Amino acid sequence: MCYLKRIVCFGLLIGCLFSPSVLAQPANNHLTIGGPFEFTTLNPSQNGYVFTRMQVVETLVDVSPEGELLAGLATHWDVSDDQLSWRFHLRDGVVFHDGRVMDAASVEQSLSHALQQHGPLAQAPVERLAVDGDALVIELSQPYQLLPAVLAHYSTVVISPDSFDDQGRITRLLGSGPFKIAVFAPPHKLGVERFEDYWGQVAAIASAEYLTGHRGESRVLQARSGQADIIYTVDPASTGMLNRVSHVQVQSDLIPRAILIKLDSGHAFLKEVEARQALSLALDRSGIARAVLRAPGSEANQLIPAPLADWHLADLPPIERDLQQAAALLDDLGWEMGRDGVRVRDNQRFSLNLITYADRPELTVVATAIQAQLAELGVEVRVSVTNSSAIPAGHQDGSLEMALIARNYGFIADPLGVMLSDFGSPQGGDWGAMQWNNTDVAELLKRLEGEMDADTYHATAQRIAALLADELPLIPVTFYTQLTAVNQRVENFRFDPFERSYYLNEMELSQ
Amino acid sequence: MIQRILINRLLQAVMVAWGVGSLSFVLMRSLPGDMAYRVAAGRYGQDNVSAEAAEWVRQELALDLPAWQAYLHWLLDMLRLDLGVSLISGAPVIDEIKHQLGHSIELAVMAILLAALMAFPLGILSGLRARGWLDRSLLLLSSLLRAQPVFVIGLMLILAFAVYWPLFPVAGFGQGNDWVLPAFSLALALAAVSSRVVRDSTLAVIHSPYYQFARVKGLSEWQTFRQHGLRNLSVPVVAFMGIQLVGLIEGIVMIESLFSWPGIGHGLAHAIFSRDVPMIQGTALMMGLLFVALNTLVDLACYKIDPRGRPE
Amino acid sequence: MKPFLAWIPGLSRSQWLGAAILMALILFALLEGWLHQGDSTRQNLSNYLAAPSAQEWFGTDHFGRSMLARMGDALRLSLMLSLFCVATAALLGTGLGVCAAWMGGITERLLNFLANTLLALPGLVLVLLLAAIAPGSFLVLYLAISLVLWIEYYRVVRAQTQVVIRSPQLEASRQLGFGRWYLFRRHIWPAIRPSVLTLAAFGAGNAILALASIGFVYVGLQPPVAELGLMVVELLPYYNDAPWALAQPILAIFLLILGFNLLAGKAK
Repeated sequence: MCYLKRIVCFGLLIGCLFSPSVLAQPANNHLTIGGPFEFTTLNPSQNGYVFTRMQVVETLVDVSPEGELLAGLATHWDVSDDQLSWRFHLRDGVVFHDGRVMDAASVEQSLSHALQQHGPLAQAPVERLAVDGDALVIELSQPYQLLPAVLAHYSTVVISPDSFDDQGRITRLLGSGPFKIAVFAPPHKLGVERFEDYWGQVAAIASAEYLTGHRGESRVLQARSGQADIIYTVDPASTGMLNRVSHVQVQSDLIPRAILIKLDSGHAFLKEVEARQALSLALDRSGIARAVLRAPGSEANQLIPAPLADWHLADLPPIERDLQQAAALLDDLGWEMGRDGVRVRDNQRFSLNLITYADRPELTVVATAIQAQLAELGVEVRVSVTNSSAIPAGHQDGSLEMALIARNYGFIADPLGVMLSDFGSPQGGDWGAMQWNNTDVAELLKRLEGEMDADTYHATAQRIAALLADELPLIPVTFYTQLTAVNQRVENFRFDPFERSYYLNEMELSQ
Repeated sequence: MIQRILINRLLQAVMVAWGVGSLSFVLMRSLPGDMAYRVAAGRYGQDNVSAEAAEWVRQELALDLPAWQAYLHWLLDMLRLDLGVSLISGAPVIDEIKHQLGHSIELAVMAILLAALMAFPLGILSGLRARGWLDRSLLLLSSLLRAQPVFVIGLMLILAFAVYWPLFPVAGFGQGNDWVLPAFSLALALAAVSSRVVRDSTLAVIHSPYYQFARVKGLSEWQTFRQHGLRNLSVPVVAFMGIQLVGLIEGIVMIESLFSWPGIGHGLAHAIFSRDVPMIQGTALMMGLLFVALNTLVDLACYKIDPRGRPE
Repeated sequence: MKPFLAWIPGLSRSQWLGAAILMALILFALLEGWLHQGDSTRQNLSNYLAAPSAQEWFGTDHFGRSMLARMGDALRLSLMLSLFCVATAALLGTGLGVCAAWMGGITERLLNFLANTLLALPGLVLVLLLAAIAPGSFLVLYLAISLVLWIEYYRVVRAQTQVVIRSPQLEASRQLGFGRWYLFRRHIWPAIRPSVLTLAAFGAGNAILALASIGFVYVGLQPPVAELGLMVVELLPYYNDAPWALAQPILAIFLLILGFNLLAGKAK
């Protein structure tokens, strides 16, 4: 009898524990977003992308999905004839989340802060900032036509002077976007609320939250169970599972990012163009695109993907796998097939280290595929998975042989910024060429830095792209398609290929 | 007696603090790769990590300091109970740990409660009816559960109760019912072992002479059990729970990673990835101290229940 | 071989079951290595996630790699690691435990201090810290796991040896002038043998668990190595498309640990 009572009590207790936990139903006008990025601070130089995407903060210059620069907090800008003085005319009626009105002085304070942090603005040839009426003047030490694109970068957001403490550190993030921060719980949760006094389109949804889910599997399950409305960066492997449920749509968008093999063009095995071409020909890009990334058609034949039209060669044919030709190329270079299946030349085995990093899960997967494909050519690849910092570190100390990387050419709205840091100097760049003896590209890039004419810009960019495709200082593997799982209750979903904004203020939630 | 327990444990805590701190210091210094680059990657993200970023970090954090100097600095700060600031976020380590520790303790407490709620009734029932159908089926269940890593238990629960029957959230926190699956995964692993210990203690107690005597002198089964059984069987069980705490803390690392639970285990794994030495020292230290503290509680509980025995 | 054989007749029914499970797994691992000789890293992207068939008994994974070959590799890896770790930990722990009990004094204190410090940190955290030094290194994992496992031996052996050393039998032998090695073999080893063997079985299970757990949080061995924990993570996204593939490493971990737990018998 007594045991029975205990069992009943136990059952009741368990029941109590469960009772508040009915179906995980999102609140009515509340949007839940999931993504892989963790954030640790309010500092825009470090985690600014989270705050621009959640539309808490804005920049002077905006970017269209096609990569054109648009008016942001600055309505228009002009440059002096010597190209050394830029004047940004600020928008009227912009109010920060604390009620302060944006003026040129607050913009100057924000940008001065950005100048003292790591970021593209700090690397620009900025001489000084000045306030002139309702305009901000930036004076340069040399012509730099990238400036407006740099001012679209997340590290150059404009925030209220009240955001800083006495020592100039950011203690609150009071931006001007359509949403203001309600909950800031790093590294996992950022809650935002609608800001009624926004200068543009005031949001329809009342609140939204961003949840970090660093495991791809968990994120997909969140989308599937309806716990999250939108999941960014869906693992390609899981699309099959999501396609089978009717309330979630998987959207696939090409973004200006590519998976590439960075290699040491000065390495004894890789210094001949033919050797690099052989490696390129041995890759089964369509196999990787189809089976590994589950994104057929994302094979890359050049570094820069189509959305960045100036830099993309539209007519370049795809690179088909041709093991015979690849083998012939290596044969001609004196590489003979050894007994263990690895080619040998001058008693040296064709064996290379390839490093990649776990931050983007698809890279390790692609690396194993490349390892297997190059093995068929007689090239041994030893894969080691490290941290993304190993790429610049390995470039600087010269220990890097090959690396599988994901490069974001839209990091600054104008790819020239990334191209300059990757190919702009004879030493190459941390994420670009390495010991590649080619001065033409660097010279052409230098010329583009001050180029204001769109046609000349296009023609030069195309020449650079052609040179890179021929010489293969980096071997293109695939372009990136970003998969996003969107619940059907979300209306007006729009994807920004530059990943600057989630366009939350345009979305509506149906019931 | 209590004082002795406390002093012993306090000494152990100091040892742990020094040992763990020094160990993680040495380990992190001997990790491959330049620390400045690692920290820069953690701070600025993979798209923005470059030699300039690393130089920036090196200047700001004075990473050029020789190892022994850095170690001395750390030791002095430790004596002042200052754990330093995180290299990644720049926030004081102690603040971040407070934040994480709260979540971890919440999870651990829930897991222990759930485990106790399962283990005690089931263990006592199967002990009272040893070799009955309940006892046998629980033995089987417990053997099966014990042979699973805790992350597999978590996975099964996710697939069952978050995907197939979407009753609970898959991951994340802050929704009210998100603790259920992670806490249950941990609790199941704990209860699988402790229910057997409860059962064995129960069996031992009801076969003991004093228990038999109480029955003979005419007390009902329930009265006997309440007055003579419960207290006697709890000592070995509580002591055993103490041993199991290791499993709990290890389980927390796995489960937090699986459920994206922003606790200390998850924090440790992340700090290791981004080479955030102060955070690693802080989290490892906290885990060690937490462990010592819980053990102290177990010692005290045993002492409280049965003042005869000298723990250890 | 003698002490091991002497231990066998005492096996209970469930211990026999455990032994049988383990023998089956070892047999599979060895036979797969000898007869199948599959390449666990060879990919075939046109045949990914194939269901088990006559050609591929266990199906293929997301790269079209043979699951049979990968399971063979992974089982050999886990068994090998647990063997190495347990052997090292048993030797070290037993040796130091006997030493500490025998010598007493400062040796014992120092060893106790070391053991207590290590014991205050959850084992997995220690393995995690060490594994981070050299991600993907088998050697480091082996050292880390052994470092955690030996403490249990040390504590148990020390406690039991202390009892034996105070016994009149050992004192008598000592009076007769027998050497230390003889004393160990004649008196101490028989007393600690059952515990050492039980701990060995438990330790092997724990080593396998630790390896899989570390793989699961991405700090352990690196792709393309076939390792059970890593395989679980890699195959997890395909649980819907290829449940049989995900089930294999999970089942293997389960059987390995179950086998060792059953073999160990009842915990002391």
